[in-house]
Amino acid sequence: MAQDDAGGGATALRTDRLGRRYGRVWGLRDCTLDVPAGVVAGLVGPNGAGKTTLLEMIIGLLQPTEGQLSVFGETSHAPMAARLARVGYVAQDHPLYRDFSVADMFRLGRAMNPRWDQKLAQARTDALGIPLKRKVKSLSGGQRAQVSLTMALAKRAPLLVLDEPVSSLDPVARLEFMREVMAAVAGTGLTVLIASHVVSELERICDWLIVLADGHVQLAGPADDLIAAHRLVTVPRGTANAEFPGLIIHRTDSDRHSTVLVRTDPGRLAAPERPGWQAGPVGFEQLVMAYLQRSSKAPATNDPAQAAALPGPATKAVTR
Amino acid sequence: MIWVSWRQHRSQAIACLGLLAALAVYAIVMGTSMRSAFGQDRLVACLAHSQGTGCPAAIRAFTGRFGSAVNVAFWSVLLALPGLIGVIVGGPLIARELEYGTWRLAWSQTVPRARWLTVKLGLVIGGLVVLGAAMTALITWYRAPMDRLTGRFLPNVYDFEGLVLTAYILCAFAFAVLAGLLLRRSIAAMVAAFIPWLALRLVVEFQLRPRFQAPLTFRQFCSRNGPCYGGYGLGTIPPSTGHIGDWVLGPGAGLPANQFGNTYLYQPADRFWTFQSIEAGLFVLLTAAALGLTIWLLHRRAA
Repeated sequence: MAQDDAGGGATALRTDRLGRRYGRVWGLRDCTLDVPAGVVAGLVGPNGAGKTTLLEMIIGLLQPTEGQLSVFGETSHAPMAARLARVGYVAQDHPLYRDFSVADMFRLGRAMNPRWDQKLAQARTDALGIPLKRKVKSLSGGQRAQVSLTMALAKRAPLLVLDEPVSSLDPVARLEFMREVMAAVAGTGLTVLIASHVVSELERICDWLIVLADGHVQLAGPADDLIAAHRLVTVPRGTANAEFPGLIIHRTDSDRHSTVLVRTDPGRLAAPERPGWQAGPVGFEQLVMAYLQRSSKAPATNDPAQAAALPGPATKAVTR
Repeated sequence: MIWVSWRQHRSQAIACLGLLAALAVYAIVMGTSMRSAFGQDRLVACLAHSQGTGCPAAIRAFTGRFGSAVNVAFWSVLLALPGLIGVIVGGPLIARELEYGTWRLAWSQTVPRARWLTVKLGLVIGGLVVLGAAMTALITWYRAPMDRLTGRFLPNVYDFEGLVLTAYILCAFAFAVLAGLLLRRSIAAMVAAFIPWLALRLVVEFQLRPRFQAPLTFRQFCSRNGPCYGGYGLGTIPPSTGHIGDWVLGPGAGLPANQFGNTYLYQPADRFWTFQSIEAGLFVLLTAAALGLTIWLLHRRAA
């Protein structure tokens, strides 16, 4: 893949057949991704799909077993400090030192990050009404999440990685957190990678989508392109799979009809191709769910081979 | 980074200061009363002209009064203390980060985790060395009158004076840091480090220490008809060699057939610092090995 393959911008994150094995089990395998700078990418997958494994390799907390990884040009062979400087990370459950005050946490951030932005950190906590003197253990879950986010932002890294940032939060805190992420990203050119299994939260903010299941990439690309490349078709029951002009991602059969998600060239299946067929666009959440359900049925290892034969942006993520 | 390490360990530092303060109070109370008793009993003069053989009653009175505070019972409690200090400080150092998930925070800042650990270890080791040196100084000072009677080679003295006390603390600390990384649990790491530390301590004390250097032989000749009292051991003052501070290990080989008397194997008192250096060196070496392994494992950490 060429450097500016994804639309002219620089590449924020590139992985090439990245894999990580735990003993005899592969946590993630054959992961090839090319995420351009400036996007907000959603990383979706069920628990155990390899999301955290991928994120920890991106951050440098884990070494890849095989394959290549680079974040803004720094590979996994670059000095650790150079790699760490590229990524701001909000870990799952927002770990902070319980007996530190917020000010102590910021002082830690300043001590451990040469580009630390204390003004930004203080302005954010002021705006959120979080007192600097308050101990971490007396903050609410939402406030802790905000402090974690603030620390990752004040590190001034070009890539912000969030691992399940809202799964432990109540609905109001979720909304606030996501709003803060969007506000922080707006106009800064920051690239964001958010791992979540709360698909509805991602739909609002992501313009790039990566679906991960069973340790493999199922789907990756700009969200709009992916939605344009899929059609949801309702056909009479018994219609053969071979009749569809594209790859069948998911099929549900009811008494009379079958509902089929088809990956095809954009523009195909715009109108019903046959009598009795109804074709329509697919929603973000439907699309993700279809790929997740598909991976749990079909052996995931077959997917890249099938997908490689197909046109459309989805194939670029899974090219061998 | 130094501030971060200090902030994380400051409550431990305060607890150690508390411990030191308690020890200081005890040492001052005991030390002053021992000193005044030592002066009153005219033991100084007796020791100077007879190595203590001339005043058994005064020595018995003194050791009877203060022996319980410096000897076996006290020693067996204190035996565990350096290990406990070491594992309590070392166990949570990495394990706590793993238990609470804060490792993801600590190791995703720009400072690489190997450097994070090195700075932290440097600071904590510095603190432990100060603690060990201060404990040694306090114990050495308050025991000084007793040491003039017993010498410094007996286990209940040797283990707390000189270099070894600090080395014991560091070794237990290093074992616990490594165990914390491997076991990922603070309490488990403390236990897992304390047991081998204690085993090592006892093996060194009873098996290796008497053999750090080849012991010398002392020959006690007796006349053919007269009484010939032998006896060796920890308790006699002066020891069977007649020289305070010598460490009598046990009976030596028999004398030639035409001579009467006893032989004793012993380590002379002037080997104290050599032995301290050898033993402290051994424990410091193990400390360095365990910490080096920890840094290396963390650097290329697999899990």
